[in-house]
Amino acid sequence: MKKFALFILSIILFWGCTDDGPSGPSADDFDREAILENWADNIIIPSFTNFSETTGQLHTSAETFAADPTQQNLESLRNSWETAYLAFQHVSMFEMGIAMEFRFRDYLNIYPTDAEEIENSIQSGTYNLELPSLTDSQGFPALDYLLHGLGENDDEILSHYTTDANAENYRTYLTDITSRIDNLTHQVLDSWTSGYRDEFVNNSGNGANSSLDMMVNDYIFYYEKNLRAGKIGIPAGVFSGTPLSSHVEAYYSNGFSKALFNEALTASVNFFNGIHFDSETNGQSLDDYLDYLNTMKDGADLTGLINSQFQLAHDEAEALNPDFAAQVESDNTLMLSTYDELQKNVVNLKVDMLQALNINVDYVDADGD
Amino acid sequence: MKTIRLLLLPLLTLIFFVSCDINSSDDEDIEVPPTYEFERNGESTVAFSGQTTRIKMADELFAAMLDFDNTTEELLLQMYRNQDESGNEVDPYSDEELNASTKSIKSKVAASRDYFTSNASLSVEIKNDFETWMIGQVNEVFPNQNQLASPGVPGQIADGSGERYINGQGLEYDQMVAKSLNGALMADQMLNNYLSPAVLDEGSNREENDNGETAEGSNYTTMEHKWDEAYGYIFGTSANPANPVATIGSDDIFLNKYTGSVNQDDDFNTIAEDIFNAFKLGRAAIVAGDYEVRDEQAAIIQESISKVIGVRAVYYLQAAKRQIEDDQLGSAFHSLSEGYGFIYSLQFTRIPGTEQPYLTNSEAEAILTDLLDDGENGLWDLETSTLDDLSEQIADKFDFTLEEAASN
Repeated sequence: MKKFALFILSIILFWGCTDDGPSGPSADDFDREAILENWADNIIIPSFTNFSETTGQLHTSAETFAADPTQQNLESLRNSWETAYLAFQHVSMFEMGIAMEFRFRDYLNIYPTDAEEIENSIQSGTYNLELPSLTDSQGFPALDYLLHGLGENDDEILSHYTTDANAENYRTYLTDITSRIDNLTHQVLDSWTSGYRDEFVNNSGNGANSSLDMMVNDYIFYYEKNLRAGKIGIPAGVFSGTPLSSHVEAYYSNGFSKALFNEALTASVNFFNGIHFDSETNGQSLDDYLDYLNTMKDGADLTGLINSQFQLAHDEAEALNPDFAAQVESDNTLMLSTYDELQKNVVNLKVDMLQALNINVDYVDADGD
Repeated sequence: MKTIRLLLLPLLTLIFFVSCDINSSDDEDIEVPPTYEFERNGESTVAFSGQTTRIKMADELFAAMLDFDNTTEELLLQMYRNQDESGNEVDPYSDEELNASTKSIKSKVAASRDYFTSNASLSVEIKNDFETWMIGQVNEVFPNQNQLASPGVPGQIADGSGERYINGQGLEYDQMVAKSLNGALMADQMLNNYLSPAVLDEGSNREENDNGETAEGSNYTTMEHKWDEAYGYIFGTSANPANPVATIGSDDIFLNKYTGSVNQDDDFNTIAEDIFNAFKLGRAAIVAGDYEVRDEQAAIIQESISKVIGVRAVYYLQAAKRQIEDDQLGSAFHSLSEGYGFIYSLQFTRIPGTEQPYLTNSEAEAILTDLLDDGENGLWDLETSTLDDLSEQIADKFDFTLEEAASN
């Protein structure tokens, strides 16, 4: 009797399933492990490896500068900062595993930085950079302030490290920060190369805790919050109603915000298409998964739509001033139109792609209390 | 069991509608205005400034608990008592109107007629719990402001991109104080004091109300005023107190806020309207001298406000469970600190038609003990299975399910 009931139930259940949508390949049949392997071996680990080299160089340059604060050493430290900051755009989206535990992205790139808090720490000479309340006085944005924002010109900036009453504290704070960036980065890289890579690749099932579901969520979260909102939307005043030019990335630098944005957009496009780090080789990724499922939206191929939308966002941003703060102040409408193009892909990725891949969004906007 | 429940629902609904019908024939002389506005001789009779004052005092107290640079133990205790140790007047608030007031938070904590007139020892114990938490904030948490928290060690812990300040057990004292006031101050005064016949009908209140005799120097009868004072504990800081549902959730950080939160859950999306309508009809019934309808409305309010507290208690326990599973310990501790206050508040709820809360003082205390005793370091050692057990224990006392409360 029970068996019979079960049988009837299954029939009903299966009917329900087949009625649900057009028949075709199921999201569950795809070789997810191939994607995970490509991400881990050809994108994530090479990106972290490269980034760790740049953070090592950054710390070395900072130590050189601290030992001998000359104009020349300042310039070479700034160069190291730019190189590392660009490389960071390729790893920022991988906030998982130990990086998530460390809150890696928060410690490396919360902006605007809190200049007052930085000055207080330097004055007192006592600070614990592991404190969550000090995330906004360290990382790349704090270096931006220390390398470009301490004075009107280079002489003024240099004087903080040479003749200022607290010059020694300034030098120490600088190298404490570069050392922390370098340390955290090496720990994340080490975790990937000593076990986490296999854990990540082997967790190839489906469901909320599978690597693919989590990575895709992290990717979209990054695209939505850090790239679209952080780099463009917030300074353009999309959320506050008032443009906030001081909220651009690399605010104190001389027009570096656009370069960082472009690099981050490239990294996002490459990840979607599975393009190997620092190479043209195209491996398995979300584009292949969507193609396998023949995913269409409004009669068009979703992979194609997403890629052309990335291109449109890129083209729209072409016209922007290299210094986004200047752009916000002179003609914010261009920032807003770039934001709009970026936003269109949030819908493609977060709604259409996730639906096709049968992945649930695992983050919501905090209620804030 | 399930089927019986399923059958019960339509049956109950039927009974409900039948009883409504009977009432409505009685209600003919009750004039219910569209908003909470009542007048006598062309002047408003609605007043609840004392409640507005206490909500604002509680706001300032909460903010002061995280003001590391300026707050002292003495200041917090003064904000709570509005007196110094010797009973002298003090001016601890930034708002001059509050300093001018002689009212205080403490005098109305665990101070309702029904629950505490003959239970002074428990009243004192509860009043003192709040002081213990304030003192703990200044003595344990403040010195560790720039310390990373760890099991047994107070300090700061990351919650999303911000940080929270916790004691050695993982609890935020500021949240415990604020969320516990929902029950100990607001709900207790509203449900167990001002809506109680013991208060509404005290002395010759009915006779005066029937005759339209106003209280000395006022335009309202004493009974009208008592009812309004209950109203003030949820709508006393509303943008438009006469039509408060429009802004429910954004007018304070206490019952108004959390009634708004629960109202956003599809399972409870009429609760704000239900509370408001019951207040309005009950007040109109007082004007009409219909005390049966008045008490029916009081029962609806008692049930609904109790439900807000019960739902939030379960909601935070379940939110914390998800956050622990996602390794977001700081977020989980924050949820549990809020949840602690709502669980504490459960002892001030009111089962309509009885003199009983949904969970007694000892039942609520037992849950709080269980929350902290999975290991020696309180929340740091908490198991998610404990959270499910405790959530079930709470939900079982109410007519909502764990699942309904957990969603939002």
